[in-house]
Amino acid sequence: MSAIRWAYAINQWKPQFDDFVRREEHERALKTISIAGFEGVELTYGTGRWEPLGNPQQLAANFGSVAGFREFLRSCALDGVSSWYWDPAERSMEHLTGPLSPLAEADVPAIVDRARELATALAELGGSVLLVRPVPGAGDVEPLDDDAIGRVAACWDAVGRATAEHGVRLALHVDFLSALRRDHAPRLIDRTDPALVGLALDTGELTVGGIDPLAVIATHGDRIAHVQFKDALAVDDAQEYLQPHAHWTVRVRGGAREVPRWFAEPGANGGLVDFPAITRALLDAGYAGWIVVESDQSPHPAASALLAGYLVQQELGPMVHEQRKAAV
Amino acid sequence: MTASERAIKWSYMDHWRSNGPSGPVDQWHSHKTMSAFLKQIKATGFDAIDTFDFRIWQMYGDYGGPAKYQQVVQDHGLERIVNTFHAADYDLRNYAPHLPETHEFILEDFRVTMGRWSEIQLDNIIVMPATLYYDMEPVTEDKLKYTAECWNKVGEITAGYGVRLTCHHEFFSGIQSEADIDTFYSYTDPRYVSLFVDTAQHCIAGVDPVALYNRHAHRVSGFHFKDTRNVATGDDHRHRPDSEIMAPTTGKWFYEMGTPHGLVDFEAMMTAVRDNGYRGWISVEHDKANKQGGDYSESTAVSRWYAKNVLEEIYR
Repeated sequence: MSAIRWAYAINQWKPQFDDFVRREEHERALKTISIAGFEGVELTYGTGRWEPLGNPQQLAANFGSVAGFREFLRSCALDGVSSWYWDPAERSMEHLTGPLSPLAEADVPAIVDRARELATALAELGGSVLLVRPVPGAGDVEPLDDDAIGRVAACWDAVGRATAEHGVRLALHVDFLSALRRDHAPRLIDRTDPALVGLALDTGELTVGGIDPLAVIATHGDRIAHVQFKDALAVDDAQEYLQPHAHWTVRVRGGAREVPRWFAEPGANGGLVDFPAITRALLDAGYAGWIVVESDQSPHPAASALLAGYLVQQELGPMVHEQRKAAV
Repeated sequence: MTASERAIKWSYMDHWRSNGPSGPVDQWHSHKTMSAFLKQIKATGFDAIDTFDFRIWQMYGDYGGPAKYQQVVQDHGLERIVNTFHAADYDLRNYAPHLPETHEFILEDFRVTMGRWSEIQLDNIIVMPATLYYDMEPVTEDKLKYTAECWNKVGEITAGYGVRLTCHHEFFSGIQSEADIDTFYSYTDPRYVSLFVDTAQHCIAGVDPVALYNRHAHRVSGFHFKDTRNVATGDDHRHRPDSEIMAPTTGKWFYEMGTPHGLVDFEAMMTAVRDNGYRGWISVEHDKANKQGGDYSESTAVSRWYAKNVLEEIYR
């Protein structure tokens, strides 16, 4: 029997570091997510006082406590936080630490501690998945040899063990710039402990990276611990992700073609992802857990959330209900 | 609870603007933008839409008529078109309800208009019952009487099509004060003229919409639930050439319900709706929501969130 729950990612509301810092903006965004039919919200890690929703310390600074933030969510008619996305390469102003790397054994204890903090807060917020960027971008590290893959696998096994103590699953989120793009992701996932480490299936990132999400479901369906539904508007078929600093030159600036927008809400005009087919494949693979819908970038965040809500309410949600009914 | 079991259903009054690649566009711009609009209305949980009379040309031109356009609305999971707003070009030369010599022109307008809509069944055709305030002042009892006579006749025409003629009192219209509204209804025939309560417009005019509704509940055929943050002062209601978007005191009069600092007491309004035993449609509106950085999608979401999470707890 399927137990799929729908959430929406908050990141599309914060295009720049000084945006989306005020309480009334959060309230309007969360109410929009709620009325669009979603029951949870996915947070993205951030640091410093202009990231009120970025980490447990900032939640406490702004809402009195982590529990206070959950009360705020409930006042907006949302049940809680589904999940939190964290890239350990992001510095932490709260901890006075710089980037941490899963490739560096010396960084692993700090990564584990940080993940444990996030998992503790997540559990209090009703969440069940911590998503992590498992390795840096392909253009920013040496090619990953077996030894590197082994170190990364050991890091995430240790993190998964720590988050599991709080009932939170660890999901590796492979984006289209990742050094794990293509054949490295299966190599890593196969070397991690299935009980501790899962895969986050992000339909938009895979599609921009030239990878068919259906193929990932076919080969690794049993390892999928989290799903993100976002659409892709272009494919990085020139392999620009291999460039150094591709986060800025490719993801943000759009690469040589200056792609204005890689991602959009599911069902957007020109979208490349077949969401009904992916939903069907996930159901067939027995996936249970969150599907977080996102746009990632949007010039009109409320419209993106409502259009995605329509697709979920009218088409994808009923597919889940039908399967549930058939299973009873 | 299914839609047919609910005492109240929610309709969205279609002002809206869509986002185009070169800037804002009308949602009637293309079938694609229309579809995106209707999807968002459905996604927030509205049951139906209201529209404007002047949209009928796009219905005929782009969709083959009101019935075929309504089918598009229904294909998006919405029930139907409930009300239309007759946005007339008031002019002292030919279209001024307080001037009897213009009445025949107005009546003919409605004979033609109702014929155009006759392929679908509307509940109400909504009018501003008077000219702009500065074209009607001083507002005398005679002028109110002539105006009432005009709408009694119009209401008889619309009733022939099974549609109620209902009056919506803009704060900048000739009939906007409490006393003038009461006098106007005393001269109108309840069979042919109804009241459509716009919570924000009354509030801006300094009239308590809840008290007004309670006094005239038996005449009320619908509502626009929208909010405001400002009451008109000085000459706001008679500013030339326009008060609605050009008054010097206030750049934006209208906000979605659920907005902070709103002046309308919607909980009291919904309680009154319940206590008066009203059953039927409430229309939600936030015209000009996109002014001063606003966003129609977000205003629609916030207002429907408020209806679902606050007002439906009072009455549904």
